Amino acid sequence: MASNPLVSDRDVQFLLEEVLDLGRLLRLPAFADHNQETIELYLASCRRLAREVLFPAYKPMDEEPSYLEEDGAVRAHPLMHVMYPSLVGLGLISATRPAEVGGQALPQTIGLLASVYLMAANLSATGYLGLTSGAARLIESFGTDTLKERFLPKMYGGEWTGTMALTEPQAGSSLTDVKTRATPAGGYYLIEGSKVFISGGDHDLVPNIVHLTLARIDGAPLGIKGVSLFAIPKRREEGARLVDNDVITAGVFKKVGWRGIPSVALNFGERGDCRGWLVGEPHQGIKCMFQMMNEARLMVGANAVATASVAYHQSVAYATERPQGRPFTSKDPAAPQVPIIEHADVRRMLLRQKAIVEGGLGLLAQTAYFADVAEHETDAETRKRARLLLDLLTPIAKSFPAEAGQESNSLSVQIHGGYGYTSEFYPEAWWRDQRLNAIHEGTTGIQGFDLLGRKVVAEEGAAFLFLNEEIGRALSAARSAGVDPTWGDAVAKALEEIGRLTLHLGGLGLSGQVESMMAHSHDYLNAMSLLVVSWIWLQQATAAHKGLKERPEHADFYRGKLQAAQYWIRTELPKVNHLVRLAEEVEASYLEMRPEWF
Amino acid sequence: MKILVTVKRVTDYERKVKISPDGLSLVTEGMNFVPNPFDEIAVEEALRLQKAHGGEVVVISIGHKDASKEIRQALAMGADRGIHVIAEELDPDAVARLLMKIVEEEKPELVIMGKQATDDDANQAGQLLAGYLGWPQATFASKVEGLDSEAEKAQTPGVVIAGGEATVIREIDGGLETLKLKLPAIVTTDLRLNHPRFASLPGIMKAKKKPIKEVPVASFGVDITPKVRNVKYAEPPARKAGVKVADVAELVNKLKTEAKVI
Ligand SMILES: Cc1cc2nc3c(=O)[nH]c(=O)nc-3n(C[C@H](O)[C@H](O)[C@H](O)COP(=O)(O)OP(=O)(O)OC[C@H]3O[C@@H](n4cnc5c(N)ncnc54)[C@H](O)[C@@H]3O)c2cc1C
Repeated sequence: MASNPLVSDRDVQFLLEEVLDLGRLLRLPAFADHNQETIELYLASCRRLAREVLFPAYKPMDEEPSYLEEDGAVRAHPLMHVMYPSLVGLGLISATRPAEVGGQALPQTIGLLASVYLMAANLSATGYLGLTSGAARLIESFGTDTLKERFLPKMYGGEWTGTMALTEPQAGSSLTDVKTRATPAGGYYLIEGSKVFISGGDHDLVPNIVHLTLARIDGAPLGIKGVSLFAIPKRREEGARLVDNDVITAGVFKKVGWRGIPSVALNFGERGDCRGWLVGEPHQGIKCMFQMMNEARLMVGANAVATASVAYHQSVAYATERPQGRPFTSKDPAAPQVPIIEHADVRRMLLRQKAIVEGGLGLLAQTAYFADVAEHETDAETRKRARLLLDLLTPIAKSFPAEAGQESNSLSVQIHGGYGYTSEFYPEAWWRDQRLNAIHEGTTGIQGFDLLGRKVVAEEGAAFLFLNEEIGRALSAARSAGVDPTWGDAVAKALEEIGRLTLHLGGLGLSGQVESMMAHSHDYLNAMSLLVVSWIWLQQATAAHKGLKERPEHADFYRGKLQAAQYWIRTELPKVNHLVRLAEEVEASYLEMRPEWF
Repeated sequence: MKILVTVKRVTDYERKVKISPDGLSLVTEGMNFVPNPFDEIAVEEALRLQKAHGGEVVVISIGHKDASKEIRQALAMGADRGIHVIAEELDPDAVARLLMKIVEEEKPELVIMGKQATDDDANQAGQLLAGYLGWPQATFASKVEGLDSEAEKAQTPGVVIAGGEATVIREIDGGLETLKLKLPAIVTTDLRLNHPRFASLPGIMKAKKKPIKEVPVASFGVDITPKVRNVKYAEPPARKAGVKVADVAELVNKLKTEAKVI
């Protein structure tokens, strides 16, 4: 079988050069150091590291997860030790950070697309670096100069890794209920408490791990406004030495997927000697976290697209080579069997995967593009508009790939038939990996609340109006490029339906009927996802039409794009109507269902 | 020590090349280009030698104007500067004679080249250059310890330089041969010499500021009229479907009567 490309290079090039305006990004002063060439070279390095180094290590890491060893240590897979220096060497951890902190000011759009290759090759291996990056980012944004000096060079340099230590047994979705305690002790805090599911929470790749931890300072008010953020290293520096900081690994979870990176239970301060340093103001921990939330959630969306993408490419290769059955019209039992890709029903599954994978990647790239504009555009109004769009799209860019990705990964198993259900083949492993993405960084349920309860109603619905404008622009571009007008009509109709629903639900909220407003937040999230992904496909169809005229040698690529756009808009988008009706009528089956009736 | 390394821009070996309808050339439209993989090994070896012995690594590419990207990649890996001779497709002899001019000007102690380019697989430029210069050559350089060895993990060069001599392990049929060459010399690289590093993002950013000198091919006064003419390109014959044999006797029979191999 041809080697798995993980992600289509042509698709990435298409997004950057034909769909998004990369030139505009590169003209922003923040990205003055970059040009087409630096970006191509970085993408090339990430691709090759992904294909040649990370991917071959995926299966062994899945098969031999880390565990809590008898001496109390958790050891990373031997292959991870080999790969870690290469991953760090690439410059991944601080790629998108400014030069002041040792970064290379790479646009997030590029950082994200490049990371998708690495994630597709080996989600867990990439996870170690992504977590470190996120943790360091918190210190960079909110830490004092002393903390920055102590932690940033080591973390951005990959000498130490980082984690996000939020979850506790009684505080998962509800971080308000965090109980870990922090007692002021002059210059630092003594920490006591337990965390669960902390990914990358213990390993032996590097001598130190910095846990960005939510805890309550003694006497802090109840609720969300009493939670603070701390940096708690596994080992603290005393002079030139690193000494034990009383952070104990209590256990390593046995997981469905993501087996190459341990998720652990941590105990802080069993001996009363765990020191933590406050990051940001007291009681502002959740606020700090929220500011990093967009990026973290986009990363989860990227994990999901990556996992769906590698499986999609595996499906296409398998379907091209697996001979089974004959066309409906063949009457000759002696005729050779055809590759299963010749069967329309198999192409149905492949095209669905393609629509999800490439629609998802397009959505993430578009969202990251707004993130770049929101942070670096010179004009304040443009920045604000992009910020609102970014905020609105983030719960969709997180949950759509995670949910639709599960379906896509399941289709990959299906296309492999019985072999897909065995661990001799890869698809079952990716299917397992994918399952997490709808759970961590806020479950899909939480994303629905975030979208409807917060993002859509923010600033009197400004974000939705901007989305309206964006879609309107895409509609007229599609029309003038010659895209089938019925596709644009369908998108316009869905937009109109969701617009009407949004007003209606907003009205319920304003009149105090919050239960009714939120009862169908999941359906609302789904309807918006269908619409937004259709918008993405409409933009790609427009670019494909232009491409067909200007670069006929790439006709196969563009025809494939148009076919996937048609599939999505004709097959999926009409579901909006049904979802809107459920929400509008406040269909009440589960709303009124009583716990005792189950 | 000054080391010259050559980097050729070649069609991506991961993609299928298409032949033009007249069969006289390859379709480059829509093709993806990459540095010749053997040349990346050459760059890596030069960088390791530089780390051990100091000096300068100069990268040369002769070819299309877009080949500056391949030079830039080598600079991003860590080479110091580039020379880009802008030219159309040349035959290996013209390449060797152009390189000779550059060597005469740059006066390196070592020239490291890929043993061949993966596009035309000619495997001639290194040998021709050694011939024109009258320098010793060691082709197909390899690493005696292998690519899974501790030596490779420690990024040790395979070529050993000491006392004005280079010791090179080379791959030959059925084994390895050790050569000692007096410097200056030419070394061409085989696959098992090293794992080339990937260009890091900081390296890529640094490379932007490293100089690449562009020289038009005409300025060398070298006659580049091809001595080799491409007569025709053709696809390899498609593999025929296999046949199942019932037993060993039938297999032997078929090998004798149909395949005529025994
Ligand atoms: C493999 C793995 C890695 C992880 N890595 C990390 C990590 O590195 N750092 C970290 O801090 N955490 C990590 N987590 C924890 C993860 O973020 C939580 O599991 C997640 O936030 C959900 O919390 P919970 O498990 O307590 O589920 P719960 O919050 O108990 O949720 C259970 C169900 O109830 C629903 N629900 C909860 N509250 C509400 C509500 N108010 N209204 C409606 N529905 C609700 C949820 O949507 C969900 O379906 C990881 C988890 C796993 C499995």
